[in-house]
Amino acid sequence: MDWWRSLRTQETTHSRFIGMLSLTVLTLVITFFLPPVADSQLAGGAAIAIVVLGLSWLTGWSGQISLGNSGFMAVGAYAAGIWAHHHTSTPLVFTLILALVVGGISGLIIAIPSTRLRGPYLAGMTLAFSAAVTPLAQNFSSVTGGEGGLFFNSLVTPKWFLHLFSGPYAAINANAQWSADLAVVVAGVMFFFMANLFHSRTGRAMRLVRDNDVAAELMGVNLARARTSAFVVSAAFAGIGGALYSLLQASVRPETFPIGLSITLLTLMVLGGIGTLSGAVIGGIIYSFSTNLVAHVNSLTGVNPTSNVGANMQGMIFSVLLIVTMLFAPRGIVSLKTPLRRLFRARPLAPAAKEVH
Amino acid sequence: MSVFLSSPLMHNIFAGFAQGIIYSLVALSLVIIWQSTHVLNFAQGAMAMIATYIGMTEIDRGIGYWWCVIISVVVGMTLGGVTERVLIRPLYGKPEINPIVVMIGFLGFLEALAAAIWTSTTRNIAEPFSQIYFKSNGHLVFLSSFVIFQIVLAMGIMLSVAALFRFTKLGLQLRASALAPEVSRLLGVRVSRMLTIGWTLSAGVGAIAAVIIASGNFGLFPANMDGIFVASFIAAAVGGLESPLGAVAGGLIIGLTEQFIVAYWSPDVAPLGGIIILVIALMIRPQGLFTKNTIRRV
Repeated sequence: MDWWRSLRTQETTHSRFIGMLSLTVLTLVITFFLPPVADSQLAGGAAIAIVVLGLSWLTGWSGQISLGNSGFMAVGAYAAGIWAHHHTSTPLVFTLILALVVGGISGLIIAIPSTRLRGPYLAGMTLAFSAAVTPLAQNFSSVTGGEGGLFFNSLVTPKWFLHLFSGPYAAINANAQWSADLAVVVAGVMFFFMANLFHSRTGRAMRLVRDNDVAAELMGVNLARARTSAFVVSAAFAGIGGALYSLLQASVRPETFPIGLSITLLTLMVLGGIGTLSGAVIGGIIYSFSTNLVAHVNSLTGVNPTSNVGANMQGMIFSVLLIVTMLFAPRGIVSLKTPLRRLFRARPLAPAAKEVH
Repeated sequence: MSVFLSSPLMHNIFAGFAQGIIYSLVALSLVIIWQSTHVLNFAQGAMAMIATYIGMTEIDRGIGYWWCVIISVVVGMTLGGVTERVLIRPLYGKPEINPIVVMIGFLGFLEALAAAIWTSTTRNIAEPFSQIYFKSNGHLVFLSSFVIFQIVLAMGIMLSVAALFRFTKLGLQLRASALAPEVSRLLGVRVSRMLTIGWTLSAGVGAIAAVIIASGNFGLFPANMDGIFVASFIAAAVGGLESPLGAVAGGLIIGLTEQFIVAYWSPDVAPLGGIIILVIALMIRPQGLFTKNTIRRV
């Protein structure tokens, strides 16, 4: 269980690498046993997990809150989409790095005026940003394709991978699984980066900025720069996550990134556990299989899924979960492991629970 | 004169003013809540939307327009008070992110609930006054009875709120408990009750704004207050979130700016205009244009 320990304790870069590698490989193996539908759901979840992780870093480590990450996702998705639409043969890595950089730059532009803002002001400002992005994409339709969006096909399954599959649906299976594997690998790389950032000098400084900004300033941390850089990293993660998300769908449209998506991201982050790697993983898994979950609830309660109530069931369940979690277990699902561990392992002196944020 | 009144410039000024005064109203309601509890209520628009749905759909049962307005406002006020008691009260003293997250969750819940009950399609509420523009010597003047009703009602509400805060005992208690809760408590003000009253009052003001919006061209649909909320937040933030006068002025500035961007560029760029104004305002005075200088205490 080395990978699991490395997810939760401060260890060396080396063991974090092993941890992320084993988790990624494990997920890759799992994709071989999943049906194609579940594979594509998992791929979307991996992309969203990257964005949730970026948001989690911003909120959990620097103490800022953003409702603009769906906007940064859109920026990254359009950067990758416009490039992939015109340059079909570009390697995927390049397209993703482009989205990362452009997402980060857009984060910088929003961060410079926003870092003067505290909590609610910042949340409102970023909300205004994500509300402005979608109409902007519609306005500059000659570049963005307007309402109809842009189409591209960057995820080409290589021949050797196709040969692994046989049977009548070989191509469909192979494509779905290749996409999922690719998304999982990208997510693994991003999680590895973030794991290192958490335990770096910057990460520690950021915790101090969150908990006591005056002390941080006295220690020589430049507050404005720390807050801005936290924002840029978060936006870059949203950019690459958004790009991956739209590359998986082979298209980018304005309606893919409504304000509601920011609320979903927030819900996933809070549900999993703010500021933790495992919380973002849990958030991604919840997102992947939320449709199945909602279908299950609909069939349990006897609600017709095509009815009005059925169609809005997901929104209602997610929002209630967000409120209930925040009121009663603000540290999310991750915090449940402490009582669980106490249950299974008797410890004479259990460490006191950390302060809730 | 009538030629001047029917010029495109005057059209934009009238339209921007009418829209801006709605922003002012919602911004004012945000300021009331902010002053009493230091929470930015992200669900303010959605709460008003639900109240409007509950009240105004009574028209279908043959109840008169004005009775429906009263029902909407009463429902809105009740919802505001209950929300403060149930969702916000447990969060006092917690990190400032917690109430933000809870109210965003509430926003998502109310919109999904409204869509589940009343569908997402736009509903038109019969307006109480005609929306046809006046004519003067054969020229269109870009004012209708509805626009005048909208402006008069919004201004009336603002003045009543101002009078309530300024001239009544309740207003004094509300101001005192916002300014110095401990001292007020010692002097016998029921501070926790004042917080609930603040939310109730604010939700009532929000509900009136939502009723006006739903009665106009915009119509009623679950997300109809989203854009209004964002613009009103910007208006309140430009004014400094602390100042009712600043919120009203901010609303008018945002409304006029958006109208001129819509007229001379594109409606899709209008949301960006508000952000740019906010950025400029923050560069000039980070604490807001209309607040007294305050120093953040360590």
